[in-house]
Amino acid sequence: MTEPEAMDWIGALFQEKPGTLKRDTKRADVEAWDSLGVLLLMSALDNDFGITLSDEQLGKIDKVGDVIDVLRQRGVVVLERTS
Amino acid sequence: MRFLLVDTIRELEPGRRIRASKRVPADLELFRDHFPGFPVVPGVLLTEMMAQAAGKCLDAEGARSGRAMLGGIQNASFRGWVRPEEEVMIYAEIVQNQPAYATAKCFLEVDGRKVSSAELFFVFAPYEQFGGRHRDEVLASYLESNPMTGDAASNDDRK
Repeated sequence: MTEPEAMDWIGALFQEKPGTLKRDTKRADVEAWDSLGVLLLMSALDNDFGITLSDEQLGKIDKVGDVIDVLRQRGVVVLERTS
Repeated sequence: MRFLLVDTIRELEPGRRIRASKRVPADLELFRDHFPGFPVVPGVLLTEMMAQAAGKCLDAEGARSGRAMLGGIQNASFRGWVRPEEEVMIYAEIVQNQPAYATAKCFLEVDGRKVSSAELFFVFAPYEQFGGRHRDEVLASYLESNPMTGDAASNDDRK
């Protein structure tokens, strides 16, 4: 998966229009990324990529780029950034 | 109208799967509008059947201090009509079962014909939130006839 594809995956999860999310988009600026959205993210990471996060790791995720970094660290995003 | 969308639990493996049934009576007022001359059970009620059945499957596990509540619906589809008085068989399989959330794949059948399916997302609301009045009549009835062992049998809140 490329980084733009990962961005699309996050966007779809939070029902954002394609292209609206950026690496530095903060959680607070994504309407569906509320407390329920956090759980949806946890569920989707596990279901789609087999990634489980500790509470500490989860607490450090505050923007879209943090999710991308997790996907990169776990080998899901394997291609270089294109934007 | 009470909001009990599961009449009977037929089979239950707490936290794993459930098979239940529901028959929607023809005298419900909603059929006057949905639809005039062609009464069918609304999709929102079909979805609620799946949600209530899957919720009972999770609650029966007794592993949490909260009641399963529907948090999201994905890939819901309605392929066939469900007419008043038809018996709907409800199937739910728990896919993810985590302390803070759970997911379930569910479908409905009428006479062996699949009429609806959905993937449901659950979160858990503390039992205290229900003011001590939390009692699942359908689940309690099933458990009285089919006692569980271990943790599932020790959760007094659901009885």
